[in-house]
Amino acid sequence: MVTATKDMQLISHLMRRAGFGVGLPELESLAQNGYNETVNRLLKPTNVQEMTDDLIRRYHHEQSGMMGQNNPGAYWLYKMITTTDPLTEKMALFWHGIFATGYPKITQGKVLNDQIRMFRRYGTGNFRTLLLELSKDPAMIVWLDNHDNHDGAINENFGRELLELFSMGVGNYSEQDIKETARAFTGWTIGNTEYMALRAERDSIWPYGRIAWHFEFKEDDHDSGEKEFLGNTGRLNGDEIIDIICQQESTARFISRHMYHFFVADEPPVPQWPYTPPRDPKAIDTLTQAYFDNDYDIRAMLDILFNSEFFKSEDSWHERVKSPAELVAGILRLTGEFDRPRREILDRSTQAIYMGQHLINPPSVEGWHQGTEWIDTGTLVERLNFASQQMSNVENPGVAEIIGRVIGDGSHQADDSLVQRCLDEMGVTSVSEGTRSILENFAAQNRDLENDATQIVAQMLQMVAATHEFQRA
Amino acid sequence: MTTRTRQFMKYSHTIGLSTMSGRGFYYPVDTAIGEDDRLYTVSRSLDGDPRGIRVTIYDLASEYFGTFGESGEDDGQMIWPTGVARDTQGRTFVSDEFTNRITVFDVDGDFSHSWGKMGSGAGELDGPSGVAFDRDQNLLVVDHHNHRVQRYSQNGIFLSEFGSFGSANGELNLPWGITASSKGDIYVADWRNDRIQQFSPDGEYLASFGRSGRDDGELFRPSSVAVDPDGYVYVADWGNERVQIFDPDGGFVQSIRGEATDSKWAEAFLEINLEEAAARDRANMEPEIKFFNDDPHEESSHIEKYFWAPTSLKLDSEGRMYVTESNRHRVQIYDKA
Repeated sequence: MVTATKDMQLISHLMRRAGFGVGLPELESLAQNGYNETVNRLLKPTNVQEMTDDLIRRYHHEQSGMMGQNNPGAYWLYKMITTTDPLTEKMALFWHGIFATGYPKITQGKVLNDQIRMFRRYGTGNFRTLLLELSKDPAMIVWLDNHDNHDGAINENFGRELLELFSMGVGNYSEQDIKETARAFTGWTIGNTEYMALRAERDSIWPYGRIAWHFEFKEDDHDSGEKEFLGNTGRLNGDEIIDIICQQESTARFISRHMYHFFVADEPPVPQWPYTPPRDPKAIDTLTQAYFDNDYDIRAMLDILFNSEFFKSEDSWHERVKSPAELVAGILRLTGEFDRPRREILDRSTQAIYMGQHLINPPSVEGWHQGTEWIDTGTLVERLNFASQQMSNVENPGVAEIIGRVIGDGSHQADDSLVQRCLDEMGVTSVSEGTRSILENFAAQNRDLENDATQIVAQMLQMVAATHEFQRA
Repeated sequence: MTTRTRQFMKYSHTIGLSTMSGRGFYYPVDTAIGEDDRLYTVSRSLDGDPRGIRVTIYDLASEYFGTFGESGEDDGQMIWPTGVARDTQGRTFVSDEFTNRITVFDVDGDFSHSWGKMGSGAGELDGPSGVAFDRDQNLLVVDHHNHRVQRYSQNGIFLSEFGSFGSANGELNLPWGITASSKGDIYVADWRNDRIQQFSPDGEYLASFGRSGRDDGELFRPSSVAVDPDGYVYVADWGNERVQIFDPDGGFVQSIRGEATDSKWAEAFLEINLEEAAARDRANMEPEIKFFNDDPHEESSHIEKYFWAPTSLKLDSEGRMYVTESNRHRVQIYDKA
């Protein structure tokens, strides 16, 4: 029986939150370097390995051309399950949930996928740079109508959401600030605006498929007049508006609370934030200070977060409900099914849709509500069925390897060692007495049925996949 | 600049339109040139949608003659069609790298027979991709996950094989396209090794050319290869989104990035969609864009005339070159300069 050390338990917790979880062999490998070094390697990955684009595109032509709405999610799932740099993918998920754009209005997957790639490039860097890139992102421009924001005829949509949903939050600016922001972003549009917007509106794939979009600044459509924004006056352009936004404490607190919500523990939905104080105000203070101390550097904030006591606390282990993307990716990393591109990837990503998360198609500009809101009677059944089916499929190479290891050292021969070993193999480092009791009773009953060793282990893996603890990070 | 060095081939015209049924293609992957001067382009479509998979029949003048084949795993159906070849009897042979079989359609496009099952033993298949007939009219099949080429009679009887996994001369790594020259030599697009390999008619290694890279004469994930009677080698340099031509000694001759114009089928679409046509006319279809990486896949996604995912390159008896582009749902045609 493997007895996880406290450091191993902490690393497992870290990898569930900052990644998609780890199985026992990877945990043992990480533990050789310790918790601090694991954090360092997450924050500064080197020699990143993943399933490469050329390999994916050869087999999945729609994951290359990306005309439609489902294959970008399948492509992203490949990245999540094969990368050795899981934090970058988690941060892409994090920003996708905040800067939410969706297919119904954009009507082409390539442009939305380009935004996700932008999150990969800038999602752990400087927040000012990220906001600037977001403001130039073609999907965001069309999603929030900034291509209709003209000198002398402003459209406030992007300006409003930039302040309300992407940085400071409600209550920290005036309606006039929104108008001035909109003026500052006039002329920030996409190239060939008329043709591209018309094609998007008509969902046109003719004559030769989609044409990807690119940012264009149209100086002759930019309002270069004097503006006043949050007490600052001048001929402000969009990048100067972002400078001012990033200087605000409200921005630092807003981003910090999002980080806490995503990595530590559930916060209420964003619309309630003006009226509901943070769950842990000191943690938000700590992250806010990290934001200013490090020139808005996201990576530095994550470093502080992952090394904080509020993150490491045992009280939060296995308490945050995994999002469908996290759950599916974590399971597929364990099963090892996608050692090469396979047609089944689309089905696997579709399972996340059944569980309530259609990547690149969030329900609204607010993204998805996280935490326990992932769970209802329908999605719970989908989650349990998917996890159980995948982990009990002995054809999956990762499952076969787990079974081989469990049987190999005899852990399957006693009920308690079988339970503990399967928990360890699946990255569950602590369980309630109730869960353990249920699993051990199942082990005993199952053994009475004279199942063979492979069946005994596979069925225990199936049971662990359905536990409260495995379904949570 | 879309074409560098001396002009060996010059652009003629484009055939294509993105459609999920009837006249047009949907993620086309390969084109066969029939003895009847008709072209047979197989569309792979997208995963999760039964529409779009078919073989489209048309000719050089863009006249459309119909389709055959459909999505599925039953006889005459396909899931991941990859390669197509025509025999001298007018039959169409399609490889399917998901069902691991070769399906044969008769001269009317009806199902004739099929063979193949998953495995790595002699005659078994794991991802059949490129197909071509050898000088004896036996079918060469690139068995790509097994990193080899297998030869079958037209009825599917296994005859021989060559190639194994690796990067040494004669070894293969996920090969894709294949052709046989008029002399009978066999050329394989050794995809993951970024090279073309030449084998004798019996499968003995003869030569290799191309090396990994994006400069002239270098290759990145070549998908398809054709050879003219003079020994010039034409390569669909898929990962570089271009075509490259080499002389018989492997010397670089020409690089073509793509010059597509509106096809007749595209013109017909635009004639009845006037608002889109007008907006298209006013658009700058070759904008200057700063890309974040050097992958030409990005440039091709923005500039429509460039090749985007050229999966197949074929030559006809007149020396014309046909380049099938899966992401642009069309075939670009070039003549000898």
